[in-house]
Order: sequence, then C-alpha cells, then structure tokens
Amino acid sequence: MSLNELAFKLNAHLTAEDTRFDAVLAESGVLEVICSNNEEFPINIVKTDTQLLAITPLFNVNEVKSDKVDELNEELLLISPAIPLSSIGRQGDSYILFGAMALDTLFENIVHELEVQAENTVDVLQVIEPLLL
Amino acid sequence: MGILKNILTAVRGGASEVGESIVDANAVRILGQEIRDAEDAIGKAKQSLTGLKASEIKLKREINSLESDIGSYETKAVQALEAGNEALAVEVAERIADIESEAAEKGAEHSALSAQVNKINSMIRQREKVIQKNGRELEKIKTVEQLQKATSSMSTNFAATNASEHRVSKALERVKKKQANWEDRMEAGEWMEGEAGSDDLDRKLKDAGIGANASSGASTVLERLKKKSGQ
Repeated sequence: MSLNELAFKLNAHLTAEDTRFDAVLAESGVLEVICSNNEEFPINIVKTDTQLLAITPLFNVNEVKSDKVDELNEELLLISPAIPLSSIGRQGDSYILFGAMALDTLFENIVHELEVQAENTVDVLQVIEPLLL
Repeated sequence: MGILKNILTAVRGGASEVGESIVDANAVRILGQEIRDAEDAIGKAKQSLTGLKASEIKLKREINSLESDIGSYETKAVQALEAGNEALAVEVAERIADIESEAAEKGAEHSALSAQVNKINSMIRQREKVIQKNGRELEKIKTVEQLQKATSSMSTNFAATNASEHRVSKALERVKKKQANWEDRMEAGEWMEGEAGSDDLDRKLKDAGIGANASSGASTVLERLKKKSGQ
C-alpha cells in the first residue's frame, strides 16, 4: 500500500473507539496524520524498502530544563519498555516516539498502532512534563 | 561492527538536516557495489551450475547403466562356469573388468563434479548472505534518512514556537481539555439514553395501571366532588 492509498483509507476510517484521522501526504513524501484522540502531536509516516515508520516528534532538547537533560534521558530509558507498540528515541535535537511496522502490515493493525501511539504520546509527555520548560 | 557506528558518528557530528549525508557517500556506494557484484556472481554461478548439474546427472546415469551391465555379465559368467565353459567365462570376466574400470573412471569424474556443484552452491549461499547483510546495512541508513525527513518539518515548528514557553504543557492542556469535553459529551449521551429509558418505563407502568396518578383527570375530580356533596 502506498502512502497515498494509506492516507485515503485513513481519512475514511473511524475506529471502534471513535478515533478519526486527518491524513495529508506532504510534498516531502511524509504522510502527516492527525489523530482525533490527540490533535496536538501529529504522527509522521514514512516508508523505507522494508518498513513503515510512524514518528511523533515530541520536543526539542532545548525545551528541556538545562539541568534536567540527564534525568530526562534516564526516565525515558526507564519507561520506554513499558510503552506498548512505541519506542522513544532522539533524532538530531528532537525527541521522538516511534513505531515500526512491516510493509505488509494490515490496515487495521496500522490504525491500531497509530491510535495507540497518539495515546502513548500523551502518557509519556505527562510523565516528563515537570522536566520541560 | 557494521554501519551503525558510522551512523552514530554522523548524527553525533550534527548530520541531522535532511539532505546531509548520514554516512560517507563512498560507504553507501561500496555497499551498493558489493550487492551488485554479488548478484552478478550469483547469476554467473547459477548458469555454470546448470551445465555442471546436467553433466553430473548424465554421468550418474552412465554409471548406473555400467553397474547394471556388470551385474548382467556376472550372471552370464556364472552361467558359463556352470556350463563348464571356462574360456567363455574368462572372456566375460575380462569384459566385466573393462566395464568396472570405465565405471570407476566415471565415478571419480562424478565425485569431482559433485564436489564442484557443492562448492558453487556454497559460494552462491555466501554471496546471498553478502546481499542480505549489505541490504540490512543500507536499510539502516535509509531508516535514519527517513527519520530525519519525518522529524525535520516538526523540528522547524519547534523552533518557530520556542518563543512561547511551556509549548508541551500548553499542548497537553489542550489535549486534556478536548478529552474532558469528549468524556462530558459521552456522559451526557449516556444520561440522555438513561432518561429515554426511564420515560419508557414510566409509560409502560402507566399502561399497566401501576403508579399512574389516580387523582388526575376531570372524571376523577367530579367523582370526588359528588362524594363530598353526598350525592
């Protein structure tokens, strides 16, 4: 399934938990998806030869209290294994939450992954919010 | 160690912008070239393997045929001996010896061919491993490139909104508010459903003459007035 087809299907889909998606394929080739259960932190989807990557940029390192960066990194490492389907990482100066799926992942499973990732974003940010500016 | 070390060095070094090379372009070219070389080698090996395998099968068939001839001549030699024809038996034995020698030669040739076929097969497997390994290495590079692409637009947004403090807190607040609104609406929906349900129950009770207000209605009032006036 191409990202364009995925966008089309997502826009027409409503999950069992009443989550809707607003998916737009940007010129850069990134599929930007806003989930109705968390409209503030969009999920960016990209494709490689073998994977579909769903990435939610969380915050920039300069948004972390300067004396709390180590503590934040440790907290993120500690909570990462407990987060269902998503992992935490850092891309350049941006902290990200991401999930990776095989290219032949069923649409229903992609939807589930996105819905859970949008929820995970809120959960993670709530935990580390005191360490942010 | 693979390409991961190079990737780490590159991202540590600040190659985080889209378009910047994650790893030395030369390293990517080498990986790609190795894959193409391995694919070419596999193609050629498979071609020669087809020829060798055909020769191997042909030899095996010839050996089987010679062995069958040996068996047949042995029977005949025994028959000649039983018939007391020693001279004929010797002649047959000589023929058997010739065939055995030919079979041994072909057997040696067959063994050499089999070894060559095995060698080529193992070479193909090794090349396939190179292709898979290099493919995975390239996939790592592509993954980081795609991650950069997916993160860069948002990073720009971060930079633009950094002027406003507590960006994450404010965004979280808005998410929580929306979730609360949604929960309120759900609760309201449930309340409405409950109300509709209770109306329905009251109507059913009334229809059954249970719990209906007995003092309502003009006829009831008139009845009461009549009783009061002693009529």
